Amino acid sequence: MTAVKKPKIGIYGFTGCAGDQLLIIHTEDEILNLFGATNIQSFVMASSNPIEEELDVAFVEGSVSTEEEKEHLLEIRGRAKILVAIGNCAMNGGPQAMFSGDGNYEKRLENVYGKKAKFLTKPLEAKPLDAFVKVDYYLPGCPISQHQTFALISRLIHGAIPEPYPHPVCHECKLNENHCLLLDERFCIGPLTLGGCGSACPNHGVPCVGCWGPNPDGNFDHHLKLLESFGMSRDEIMRRIRGFGGSKIIEYIRDGGT
Amino acid sequence: MLDKKDITIEPLARVEGHGGIRVEIKDNKITHVEVRILEGPRLFEELVVGKTPQEDLSIVPRICAICNLSHKYAALRGLEKAVGVTVDSTTQLFRELMHHGEMLESHSLHIYFLALPDFLGYDNAVAMADKYGDTVVKALQLKKFGNKIMRMMGGRMIHGENPVIGGFSRLPTKEELIKVRDEAEELLDFAVATIDLLGELEIPDHMERETQFLCCKPPGDGYGYYGDFFITSDGEEYPVEDYKSVIKERVVSHSFAKRGQYKDKPFTVGALARVLLIGERLKGKAKEANDKLVTNRWHRNPLFNNHAQAIEQVYSLEGIIETIDLILKSENAKIAQPTEETGIGTGAVEAPRGTLIHHYEIKNGKITAADFITPTAMFLDDIEAFIRTGGEQLLTNKQLDNIELQFEMIARAYDPCISCSAHLVEVVYE
Repeated sequence: MTAVKKPKIGIYGFTGCAGDQLLIIHTEDEILNLFGATNIQSFVMASSNPIEEELDVAFVEGSVSTEEEKEHLLEIRGRAKILVAIGNCAMNGGPQAMFSGDGNYEKRLENVYGKKAKFLTKPLEAKPLDAFVKVDYYLPGCPISQHQTFALISRLIHGAIPEPYPHPVCHECKLNENHCLLLDERFCIGPLTLGGCGSACPNHGVPCVGCWGPNPDGNFDHHLKLLESFGMSRDEIMRRIRGFGGSKIIEYIRDGGT
Repeated sequence: MLDKKDITIEPLARVEGHGGIRVEIKDNKITHVEVRILEGPRLFEELVVGKTPQEDLSIVPRICAICNLSHKYAALRGLEKAVGVTVDSTTQLFRELMHHGEMLESHSLHIYFLALPDFLGYDNAVAMADKYGDTVVKALQLKKFGNKIMRMMGGRMIHGENPVIGGFSRLPTKEELIKVRDEAEELLDFAVATIDLLGELEIPDHMERETQFLCCKPPGDGYGYYGDFFITSDGEEYPVEDYKSVIKERVVSHSFAKRGQYKDKPFTVGALARVLLIGERLKGKAKEANDKLVTNRWHRNPLFNNHAQAIEQVYSLEGIIETIDLILKSENAKIAQPTEETGIGTGAVEAPRGTLIHHYEIKNGKITAADFITPTAMFLDDIEAFIRTGGEQLLTNKQLDNIELQFEMIARAYDPCISCSAHLVEVVYE
């Protein structure tokens, strides 16, 4: 791609907790620079009167969970040169996709809203953005990290290609010299989870719950066996692993999960 | 002059989540008002069934990023009742410290970044920086400070896992606490100055009408953000376990979200409700701020929620100082262990934007049923009622310039959290 000056940016939120957009707003030391270095056309959570035109970069948070969101995503893709999925919900579907594909979505919907409910826009079982459109870059996280976010934005501003960060949570946990919680036979899925959080939870003596989603390099098969050796049933393990793995983690645990 | 046509404001900017406002007008009269929730359903009540309490604690804060620790705290209070956990007094102080951090983070975000641009005539807070640079910079500092406490107690700025059943996995050191205490003292002047800044704003009165208020009654005689009872503006008091009979869900045919009502009428929750119901418990500079700002109009005008949040910023900064002083004199906190595997528990806290209820039923260590009632679900009806009154007044007076902005300002004043309320997505009943 060619270098762009003051790229036109749009920041959008679909179904999720808005934590990734909030994280951008919470970059107290950088937010004034971000508004200065880019041309933010649409960031509804922070500003009124969005301008919805051609975009150099669209950042999209959240899963696609309604028909209307699906249409909106296609519309954004149509006018964005680069589309970045931000956060676990956009990248993997998020916690709302933990039962993805089990065939009981309609039943769950009915349990919460009742039998006769008719929706103003059709609800869809949560899916990541790339189930519908081409995603150019991913910023993983729950929420995304400030460091990775600004590294990606800086690269895009300068016409450079952002690099993926294919390391598990364990990588950062080791750098932080934490005691490994697996040695205490605690249920930690850091080895299976994308890093970038700086091992936030193990730093506090709390096991990784996998909230950044699956790390494709993880040795899923072996880790499941390790967790089983702690005396936990396969069902229990699968239930916990799927908490934040969205619809994509199924690919990695398909064989191990049966 | 031509009649004003129907108004659709979508998306509703500077709120958390994806929503809109629709006002239908016929013959210069308002026929229908609707605050629309456009986020997809996430079905959290279903997601946590079959999970352990600790798993639930990781999942439910993901309902909302801004008030993630309020969700964690409400869940803790509900789950701990269900599994027979009583935390020690030092742990309780640390939880209050954590909650003060979230109040500062959320209130400062709302007052300066989401609400104030309307009053000063800007699209966003960054655009305000040219003329109000000092306020924007100090507001960022205050927000950063709130986030710092959330990171310290929560384990991460957003969605930390450090609060666990029975306590905290890691507690801050004495040095960290003293630093935070000092910073709270430094920021107090700005929080007090904000009282004067808001006090000078001209607040429109077109939407004024009587409403009702509800909040948690804090234990003891101080102000606070949690309790096991609700108190209401008609002088009633209810145990939180009775939440289903106190806050009734309303379903109307044709256009129809489930909404909370109290005694068949809309009600307000949030900083405004708290200041009006328990403001007499305030002390120190927060009491001075309360005495300076609160007037009878507050009972009839939701825009004063912004001011009420400003009073709570002062309260929380003073609260942080007081809480840390108490912690430094207390015995070390320990993590309390569950004594039951089966039970029922209802937890209530005051999230920044109002009363938040988490109800759980647990059998053999696993959740069998859960119910979450969020503040935004409680006050959607009240927002609509104020928009209707304001709209009728503005139409009668033919004040049609910027009528959309007037409606948006009413909705924004509540600091609505649409992600939170999304489990009450608009439902049409045939």
